[in-house]
Amino acid sequence: MKSSITEPAVEGNLTLFRLLLKDRFAMVSALVLILIGLTAVIGPVLMGDLATKQNLLFANKAPFSLAYGWEYVLGSDSLGRSMLARLVVASRTTFSVALPAVAAALVIGSLWGVWAGYHRGWRENVSMRIADVIMSFPSLLLAVVVLYVFSPSAGNIVLILALTRIPIYLRTARAESAELQSRTFVDAARTFGARPNAIIGRHVIPVVLPTLLTLATLEFCYVMLAESSLSFLGIGIQPPDVSWGLMVSQGRQYLQTAWWLSIFPGVAIVVTTIAANVLAAWLRIATDPAQRWRLALPRKRLIVRIPVKEAKP
Amino acid sequence: MTSSSTPLFPASAVKWPALAAGALLALSGCAVSNSEAVPASGSALRVVLGQEPPTLEACESNLTSTGVVVRSNVTEPLVERNPQTGELEPLLATEWKATSDTEWTFKLREGVKFQDGTPFNAEAAAFTIDRAVNSKLGCNVEGYVFGDADLKVKAVDATTLTVTTPEPDPILPLRLSFLEVVPTSTSTTAKVREPIGTGPYKIEKWDAGQKITLSSWDGYWGDKPAYAKAEYQWRSESSVRAAMITSGEADVAMGLSPDDNMGDLGVDYPNNETVALRLEATKAPLNDIRVRQAVNYAIDKEGIVSSLYQGKHKVAAQLVPEGIVGHNSALKGWAFDLDKAKALVAEAKADGVDTSAQISLVVRSAQFPKITELAQVLQEQLSQAGLNVKLKMLETSQHLTYQVRPFADDEGAVALMTQHGNQAGDAAFTVDQYMLSTGAQSYFGTPEFDALIKKADAASGDDRKKGFEDIFAYQNDKVVQFAHISHQTGIIGKSKSVNYTPNSSSGDELRVSEMTPAS
Amino acid sequence: MLIYLRKRIVSSALPLVVVIVGVFALARMTGNPASLYLPLNATQQMRDDFTARNGLDQPLLVQMADYFGGVLRLDFGQSLRTGQDAAAMALRAFPATLQLAATTMVLAVLLALVVGCWAALKPNGIADRISSFVSMAAASIPDFWLAIVGIWVFAITLGWLPTSGVSGAGTWVLPIATLLLRPFGVLVQIVRGSMVSALSEPYIKLARSRGAGELRVVTHHALRNAGAPALTVAGDLTVGLVNGAVVVETIFGWPGIGKLMIDSILQRDFAVLQAAVLLTAVAIFALNILIDMGYALLDARVRPVTARA
Repeated sequence: MKSSITEPAVEGNLTLFRLLLKDRFAMVSALVLILIGLTAVIGPVLMGDLATKQNLLFANKAPFSLAYGWEYVLGSDSLGRSMLARLVVASRTTFSVALPAVAAALVIGSLWGVWAGYHRGWRENVSMRIADVIMSFPSLLLAVVVLYVFSPSAGNIVLILALTRIPIYLRTARAESAELQSRTFVDAARTFGARPNAIIGRHVIPVVLPTLLTLATLEFCYVMLAESSLSFLGIGIQPPDVSWGLMVSQGRQYLQTAWWLSIFPGVAIVVTTIAANVLAAWLRIATDPAQRWRLALPRKRLIVRIPVKEAKP
Repeated sequence: MTSSSTPLFPASAVKWPALAAGALLALSGCAVSNSEAVPASGSALRVVLGQEPPTLEACESNLTSTGVVVRSNVTEPLVERNPQTGELEPLLATEWKATSDTEWTFKLREGVKFQDGTPFNAEAAAFTIDRAVNSKLGCNVEGYVFGDADLKVKAVDATTLTVTTPEPDPILPLRLSFLEVVPTSTSTTAKVREPIGTGPYKIEKWDAGQKITLSSWDGYWGDKPAYAKAEYQWRSESSVRAAMITSGEADVAMGLSPDDNMGDLGVDYPNNETVALRLEATKAPLNDIRVRQAVNYAIDKEGIVSSLYQGKHKVAAQLVPEGIVGHNSALKGWAFDLDKAKALVAEAKADGVDTSAQISLVVRSAQFPKITELAQVLQEQLSQAGLNVKLKMLETSQHLTYQVRPFADDEGAVALMTQHGNQAGDAAFTVDQYMLSTGAQSYFGTPEFDALIKKADAASGDDRKKGFEDIFAYQNDKVVQFAHISHQTGIIGKSKSVNYTPNSSSGDELRVSEMTPAS
Repeated sequence: MLIYLRKRIVSSALPLVVVIVGVFALARMTGNPASLYLPLNATQQMRDDFTARNGLDQPLLVQMADYFGGVLRLDFGQSLRTGQDAAAMALRAFPATLQLAATTMVLAVLLALVVGCWAALKPNGIADRISSFVSMAAASIPDFWLAIVGIWVFAITLGWLPTSGVSGAGTWVLPIATLLLRPFGVLVQIVRGSMVSALSEPYIKLARSRGAGELRVVTHHALRNAGAPALTVAGDLTVGLVNGAVVVETIFGWPGIGKLMIDSILQRDFAVLQAAVLLTAVAIFALNILIDMGYALLDARVRPVTARA
């Protein structure tokens, strides 16, 4: 496996962008993510008040009608609030839970796992047993404890989700790193006297990273759903805060009378997840020198039997 | 890749799932339970509850989840209250009277047997009272209806029982209607999960986690019930309970929500529950009566009832609904008047009350249908009146630390959402707890108010009724610890194959013998 | 291998103790259960009696010592809620969860291997796009929502399946289908990802150039090398199911350990919680040992140093 560290960074970025333009799916995903990201950043400022404005006489109005004004194009919820505004405000809470939780778990778990896998021996054993402890610990109990001792704020939910997801990265990174440390190129670096941390940073992490990032995009989805499940069990984000997960959970009792209360936030979760994963899958290929040629090819030349001779980018 | 040339365990990746699948088939052979398909209704009544009863112990049957299965089905009390008329009716006791200020005498029914064949007599009745009230078992019913007071019981002869209270107690027979009679062979040192009683059904089988089956008992002293069996299952989602009625998997489903959209499969009934805010009047800004009045004026009760609860609930003006002794039918709910609320808050502010101090609206998640929505409406409406309200949704255990003494100390004054159900039918059970200045669920009171309550507690007949009516009016005029919201309506799902009319006690004791198959 | 196994089992004992100590301490941070079990108007005297009767007035360390003393005698305490033996309650609930988790994972792994490999043959091809899309969508739907919609569609509207419960084969379908989607979606992504990498390795090209059939290339060469990450993730997902099929168990009335655990947590039924956690922890530790062994089988180089001795 070759590493891409020799490539000049600027040119790399340019090529990446050009490649992105070529891939329609990845392009659309990127646009969707940017749009959702912008919504989460600016939306709540614009629609914060609208999202809390109640009108009991105006509850559960069906969506896709402009008769009540643009605010109610996605309908109104059980308290007559604008669904559109609720979704926009909820996007921020959702991201401010999911992103930090995934990032924290990814960074801590991966570094720890790579380190443990590289060194093997007692460091590996102790780390894996710690992972076992965390994995077999009921995260629901943690959630209740946090709710009871602290308050049910987004920050505390992040803490719980990050902590409980660390072992996932830890185990994967450990496994990959343990495999790599016996490879020739790592051995070579070692014989040339490189320090362990330098080898981990220069040789192990770049190779492990694509797998971990794919995992992290999947985890992003998981964390959004986990937050939703906590809401279902009554121990997640609590009103008046609102997240997509909470909206799905609260909307479930209206499935028969007002389906849009739980469908729209659900669709938001699904769309975000798919976009993130399509982009991640694309990025994985685009950043892998051995794979990148696939993206550069016109579509119809993609055939099963890959030509053995190929131009290296 | 060096390893690719040395294949280890070829095809292992394909084999292990196959192996596991094989193991799995073996496993599912001895699956959780392969209970045979339920026979068509007519012989068995299938009930779906909101949760599995923690126990069927008779002395804990005041707990809703236990009582709904055991009361009047498996076990019976000496007397029982008719939920429609509010009158006490004979059951295992045929007549009773006060023989002195502190002594009541009960005449017991003859020819009644327990399901283990032993006869029911005064000894068993005395044993039941002793076990529940005077023992170290820690029965829930003891605290619920009797408090700390111990009772002296005496079996005068086989069919005569006397009960002596430390102080005059005009409603002792009503209190005893909560005690389900068990035979003297029942353990006095441990609670009994599957009790023996005198009721029309006996416990046939309890598949923990899955199902309780009752079957009708041939030796019952009364009429034989129409259903030979009653099967109880439990699902915590009300939409699933509703679905089981629609799909024909259950005949009766408890505790549905108006949004389960049951149409004519849903039957409304007054469930005697009342929702109110309890205001902590010892902290600013709720320490000023004008702010507490403002809270009352700011809540749009009509709007809440008609929009959130589809008009099924009733606007409340007091903690007990119609049908409870002491309900004051002259009281009207506070008008919804936002301007008046704002004016009252401004007035209080002008007099130096810190009206910007935080009020914590403390609410228990999932306590009743749509509570989250209700909480958010209240937060919004109180904020409109110019109050600083923070919503706190808590789980049961944490909510309880706010609900009962000693009260949790919050950073702000607490407005606690409480759902009060008076199962007993007498306002004393409400007032003693919620309004006495030392009541377990009361933030404060006044000496005059306490005196009124004590007087009503000791009175009987019309004096008692009048006394409690005055108390509810006095709370609204002079005390204002509560902002009442609504008297609730429960919904029971009922398949077309069952004839049954639920009443205000159906949620606490679901009498299977009152149900008949529709022909 | 046996030496390795023994070492693993021995080295798992301490973490088990850590888990139990942690649960024990954390559970008691969630407050005194007295008010949950006593009537609302209970007096202070009754509260004190309750606390003393259940040993909750003792210092934490004393309570813990008592508990571990009991555990050594296989006495796991009594449920506050039901008065039953805590270990019996946990043991009764566990098989239900285990059966559900095992069935689900076997199906998920099989399906994901097929779909993942199929998708990886033509990265970014139509099959790849569709399978990615479907599996991602499947994996990102909240399970409780899916469960309720499933009941609505298949039990009420179509009437094909029972709504819930555990009587007969029909009741297995909806819970499994609900649980299956997420592991399936995740595994498809993982299998596909590692297969794409593996298929572009030189040795695969070599195998192909030697005329090996496509099926053989996939199953014999690529899959074995791509299998390791999938195995790790599958293991983690299984752990997740064993530990937390709570939502599905709650909705379908499946009498499993997840439901028992959340009930015990919310009801502060400490003894049952501890027994349930201990049981699942043992299962998860065992599972992890199995995963690591499977891992070692897949690739000898990963076999931990201890095993080389």
